Order: sequence, then structure tokens, then C-alpha cells
Amino acid sequence: MQLLYLACGALLLTAVLVLWRRELSVIIRVFAVQGAALAVLVAVLAAQENSVELWAVAVGVLVLRAGVLPYLLRRALAGAGESRRETRPLVNVSASLLAAAALTLLAYAVSQPLVALAPSAATQAIPVGVTVVLIGFFVLVTRRRALSQLVGFLLMDNGITAVGFLTTTGVGLVVELGVSLDVLLAVLVLQVLTTRMRETFGDTDLDELRELRD
Amino acid sequence: MNLAATGMAAVVAIGLVTALLAAVVPARSAVVGVGTAVTGAAAVVAGAAALAGGSFSVVLPEVLPLSGVALTLDPLGGLFVAVTGGVAVAAGIYAMSYVDSLDLRTRGVQVALPLFVVAMALVPAAANVSTLLVCWELMALASLVLVVAEHRRGPRVASAGRWYAVMTHLGFVSVLIGLMVFVAHAPDDSFAALREAGGRLSPAVAGVVFVATLAGFTSKAGIVPLHAWLPRAHPEAPSHVSALMSAAMVNLGVYGVVRVGVDLLGGGTAWWWLLVLALGAVSAVYGILQAAMSSDLKRLLGQSTTENMGLVLVGIGAAGLFASSGEHTLAALALTAALLHVVGHAAFKTLLFLAAGSVLHATGSRDLDALGGLRPVMPVTTAAFGLGALAASALPPGTAFVSEWLLLQALIHGLPAGGVAAAIAMPVAVAAVALTAGLAVATFVKAFGVGFLAKPRSGAAADAHESPFTMLAGMGVAAVVCVVLALWPAGVLPAVQAAAGGAAVSGDVTLRLSQATGALSPLLLTLGLLAAVVVVAGVVRAAVARRARREARLWDCGGGPMSARMEYTATSFAEPLQRVFDDVVQPELDVDVSHHQESRYLVQAVEYRRKVPDRIERRLYEPVLNAITAWGGAGRRLASGSVHRYLGYGFYVVCGALILLAVTR
Repeated sequence: MQLLYLACGALLLTAVLVLWRRELSVIIRVFAVQGAALAVLVAVLAAQENSVELWAVAVGVLVLRAGVLPYLLRRALAGAGESRRETRPLVNVSASLLAAAALTLLAYAVSQPLVALAPSAATQAIPVGVTVVLIGFFVLVTRRRALSQLVGFLLMDNGITAVGFLTTTGVGLVVELGVSLDVLLAVLVLQVLTTRMRETFGDTDLDELRELRD
Repeated sequence: MNLAATGMAAVVAIGLVTALLAAVVPARSAVVGVGTAVTGAAAVVAGAAALAGGSFSVVLPEVLPLSGVALTLDPLGGLFVAVTGGVAVAAGIYAMSYVDSLDLRTRGVQVALPLFVVAMALVPAAANVSTLLVCWELMALASLVLVVAEHRRGPRVASAGRWYAVMTHLGFVSVLIGLMVFVAHAPDDSFAALREAGGRLSPAVAGVVFVATLAGFTSKAGIVPLHAWLPRAHPEAPSHVSALMSAAMVNLGVYGVVRVGVDLLGGGTAWWWLLVLALGAVSAVYGILQAAMSSDLKRLLGQSTTENMGLVLVGIGAAGLFASSGEHTLAALALTAALLHVVGHAAFKTLLFLAAGSVLHATGSRDLDALGGLRPVMPVTTAAFGLGALAASALPPGTAFVSEWLLLQALIHGLPAGGVAAAIAMPVAVAAVALTAGLAVATFVKAFGVGFLAKPRSGAAADAHESPFTMLAGMGVAAVVCVVLALWPAGVLPAVQAAAGGAAVSGDVTLRLSQATGALSPLLLTLGLLAAVVVVAGVVRAAVARRARREARLWDCGGGPMSARMEYTATSFAEPLQRVFDDVVQPELDVDVSHHQESRYLVQAVEYRRKVPDRIERRLYEPVLNAITAWGGAGRRLASGSVHRYLGYGFYVVCGALILLAVTR
């Protein structure tokens, strides 16, 4: 039980850390830690349910979110050259942290009825998952670098996965496999896109792309 | 399995097989033409069998989820199936070579044609709301593909397609709303259940159902004010498709009004039918007025479709009005006249559109001002169009004359029948029908005289050539039907009466009116007319023969030989009418006089431009379109191009929704 709450705490903390730090390499490392925390969360649930399938999912999550995805991100970063910092986010760091606090409150307020449906140790942690989703969305909206936006997208996905596991204790191996493949493909495509953008424009600041409209 | 059921099964089977073959066989045009014609023939057989009393009913619950497909062919539906089939026969035969000549062999277009015919044949056979709506939508989509078939010809085709797509789907939504409200008050969505529930509806609900379905169905029939798509889409479609749309598809709007208003809702109240009568009268007069001003041959025919559907609605409105005041015999007479006009209109409009397609095929032009002089080079097409024009103008040996005469009889004898409403509405309706008939004569004299007679006004018209045999054969089928309907309407009258009786105008449906003394035999009338013509011609010939014959040039005021520039054009022919109806049509005139440089007193050229905009369209559609455009412009300002802003919209909306949830819970 304590381990579950610890994993959830790590999930939340890493999400906030992504907002706080500007070094892109640090952000990727934090993201890897979050992937590990998610794997731990699933593993704890697997131990509770005593199901082999969940254990397999936990291993899969660990490999994908703490291993493959950070590796892909780091490789994209390595090609980036000097632009290794999120220099000018649209909302500065201290305001971002305050916003994260507000989003956490909102997530707690909103997920109360979900928790009340079936109060248990796992469902008590639902607000954490929702918070991670919202913070991921916030990162997506406020960060300029394509890579940090990618991380924002992956944070959202981590949050959604966490909520899924916490509410249903396992959505089935096939579903999880499908979602993971989806995420992997999305990251690969976005990585290619990022590389192309850098080759074409010499920069990955998405705000420079204002001509793409009718 | 009786004949009607076999016929409908054949329609669906042959139509689908033809569509399939069109997708795979290389020589598509012949296969599609023959397949469409055979499908049409099967529909004629099925419809005729249903009119003869062999109705059938079948339910296929597996085909559509939830409610299943239910088909029933009663006499009313049978009439419309038969009319659709007849038009499809002529259009199918015609399409075989027409499609090749205009390079319309693309797969999509060829597949859509038989599907369109099948959908049109299934609409009147639908026996529950789901089937009706599915077939209705299939019909709209197939015809839309066909309308934009010649999209390479210019932006006007695309624009016509857009107008048609938007208006037909708005009409669909309107029908959907009306029928859903209706179904909500019935145990299920079969027509039998609706018919039973129709009598028990409160007047308000029944009124909502009727008005909503009326709006949807009349938009399909091209009735004012929902007619704007018709003069755009019908001319831009390939001509055999124009014939199918203008002669068969618009009828289904009429079918819908009769089916829902008279059959399912059981008659309703007088104001419904006064509304229908008013819409019909306005459409008839406005449609033919627009046609009289038009100088585009196919557009003129499209506007004449609005006119004829208006006349049909006048008949239906009168029938409903009589039925609601208990005059069932008169109601049956008016409904018979309306349905007979549907049949007649289908015949002559098919003929006219196919002949117009033949002209387009030979000259590449639809502009009456650039045609003329086609009689020597295209004798068969000229004869076909002439016959069609005679049929369309309500003069005695014509097809439309019979039905319009019946309609006038019904309206005149209805004068003492109804209450105050009828006493006011009937004379106005009589006047509208009479005015329409007169304007129709002027319109078709213009179309035929300016388009086909005299000297050619352009090189294309001078170089015209007669169309290939199958096109002429398609026109021939329509022409024979026209002649039969004109000379021997008694042959189809029992069938039409069966259909009118099938539409639950209760009471006996004999046409032996006690107070109606008018009797008329079109055949005798025509024979008399022919005899008179022969006598007059003989007398003139005899009188002339006494003097020596002398060949001389036509008197030309000494201005040199007559040239095509001295002829009446379509614009100048319509000018007197345009002056008379100046306040109604409000044409835009533009006269440019340019002088010689040496002297202001010598005129170099005079340029005269006239445009007759659709006033109803301008007043009614433009404000709506402008509002939508402004709304779109405002929406575009939200999209600045910044990815972050787009993401931000999503983020704020999610947060807003969550906050709302948290606060309101």
C-alpha cells in the first residue's frame, strides 16, 4: 500500500519537475523516472491482484516508458546541437509551478465522484493520474521546443495509463499493447518531424510556424 | 410472389448488377445504358402491376439494423415507380451513345446512374421511415455524383454541385425532423403504425410534422422558395441525368407530400392545404416567368420544372381542401388531375431534356441566342423538341392540356363547394393556372422558334449534325408516350385514378360529376384541329395556285439580304413580357453606347446586356449566406496559425469543462 502511494507520489513529483527544469536532457531523465514509477505502480497492482498478465504489462511499461521512449528522445536531442535548453517558455517557470498547483486542486475536485464510486486504496490515487494528464497538457501548450512538447504529450499518455490502471486494475494486455504501440509510433513520427523541421528551418520553435493556415 | 414483387426484385437485382458491371467491364456505356433501360422497364412492369391491384409487401429485418427494410407497393407508390421506370427507359437508351460522345465514361459516374434509378424506384415502395430515409439519401448522393459528372467543364458545375448538396441535405434534415416527431407518437416506424397514429395526433404536433416534411419534400420538388438549387443543378448535369432528375426525381417530392399529408396524417386541416395551394400557385407563376426570361435552353427547362411541380401542388392543395370540407368526389378529381400532370410532365420533360442534350451534343451550346437554324440539319431532334414544346404548353393537342384542363375543371367546380377559404382561394388559383398556361405557351414558342427555326446565329449552330441512332431512339420512346398521353389520356386515367384512390381520398372515385358538365375528348379535338389545318391549308393552296408563282427575296426595307443578326433572339423575344412583368422580375439592364472618335453623333456600337436575377433568391438567400460568411470570417480570426494557440484552446476548454463539472456537481 505504501509502495502504491510512493509510486503515485513519484509520478506527481516527476510531472512537476518536468515543468521546473529547463535542461532538455534533465527533462528526459525525469521522464524516464516517471516511466519507472508507472511500472512500479502497475507492479504493485499486479502483486495485489496476483495476476501474471499484469506483471507482463508492468514489464512492458518499464521497457517502453523507462527504456525505449527516453532512448528515442535522447537520440533526437543528440541531433539537436546547441539548442538544448527550453529558453523561453510561454509561461515562466514560477507561474508554471503555480498553475500546476491549481491544476492539481482542479483534478482533486473533479475526480471526487470517481473515487466515491468505488472507494479503495487504488481509486484514492486517481487524482494523481488526472493531475499528470493536465500537467502534460499544460506542458504541451506552454513549451516552445518540439522536444519538450513531445515530453508533454508523453506525460499526458502516462497520466491516462495511470488513471486507467487505478480505476480498473488492468485494462487487459491487448489494449495496453495497442496503446503502447500507438504511443511508440507517434513518438517515432514526431521525431522524424522534429528532425525535418530542424533541417528545414534550423530551429524547432513551433511558434515560428505561423504560415500553416488558409 | 406476384408480378409487382417480381418486378421490384428485378429492379433491385438488375440495377445492382449493372452498377457492378459498370465498375469492372471496359465497355461501360453500352452496358450501363442497356442495364438502366432494363431496370426502368422492370420498374414500369412493377408499377403497372401495382396499379392493376397486385400490391405486395415484404419485410427484410436483417438488411438494416434496428428497424429493417420494409417495402410495400400500393397503387399510389406504383404510379411513381412506373413513371420513374418510364423515364429511366428513355434515359438509358439515350445514354448509350450520349455518354460516349461527351466523354462521361468515368467509372464513378457510370456506377451512379443505375444506383440512382434503383434508389428512385425504391423511395415510393418504402413502407417504413428508415427505408424511406435511406433510399432518399441514396438517391440524393447518387444524383449528386451525376450532377458534378462534367466538373471539368468549369466552376459553374462545382457551384451547382455545392448548392445541390447543401439544399438537398437541408431538405433531408427537415424531412428527418418531421418524421422523427411523427414516429415519436407511434408504436414503431412502419407506415401502417404511423397511419393508425396519424388520426390521433394533436393538431399542433400534426401541423409541425406536416410543415417540416412539406419543407423537405418541396425543396426536392423545386418549389419556391426552396427552388434555388434546381435551375443550377438540372442544367449542369449531363442531359440524360437532367431528364431523370427533372422528370422523375422531383416527382418524389410530390409523392412525399401526398404520402405524409394525405395518407399517413389522414388529411389534416384546411390551412395545410391552403399553404400547399399558395406555394404551388406562386411556384407555377414564378417558375414560368423565370423560364420566359431565360435564354439558356436547359435552365429554361429546369425553371419550367418548378412551374409544373407548382401546378401539381395546386392540384394537391385543392384536393386536400376539398377533402377537408367533405367534397370527396371533387378531391379525387383534383388529385387525379395532379397525378396525371405528374405523368404528363415526366413524359414531355424527358423528351425536352433529351432533345436539349441532342442540341448540346451537336453544337456544344445551350445558349438560345447562339442557336437557331437547326431544322434542316437536325430534323429529328427539331421534331422531337417541337412535340415536347407543344406538349408542355397547355394547348389542346398537347399532353399538359389534358391534366391542366382537368385541374381547371376541379378548381372551377370547387368554387361553390368549400367555405370562405375556398371561395377566395379557388378564383385566385384559377387565375394563376391560366396565367401560367399562357406564359408557358410564350416560353416554349420562344424556346422552339428561337432555338431551332430561322437562320443559325453562330458557327457551331451552322455546323450542327444529327445525333446517333440510340439518342434518337431514346427521344422516340418519350415522344410516343407524349403522343399517347395527349391523344388517349383515357388509357392511363384509370391507373391514375387507382393511385388517387389509393391515397386514401375516401369515397367513391368516379369522375362522373353531377355538377361538372364539361366533357372533352382530346382525340376528337385533335382530329378536328388537324382537319381544320388541312382545310385551311387546302384553301390557301387553292387560292395561291390561281396566281402565277414568283420566287423573290423577302422584303428587307432595302437593307441588303437578311442576316442572322436581324432575327429575334431569345432576349428580344422575351422583352415585351419582361416589360409587362417589370415590377416582378426586376431585370438589370445595361446599355453601353460607344461613339466614333471623330464625331459624337455617329454611333460605333451599342451593347445591351440584360440579367434577370432571381429576386426571391436575392432577398431570401443572400442575407443568410452573408451572415454565414461573416460568421466564418469571425471564426477564421480565431485560427491565427500558432500551434500553441490551437493547443491552448483545447487546454482551456478542457479546464473550463472540468471546472464547470466541479462547480455544478
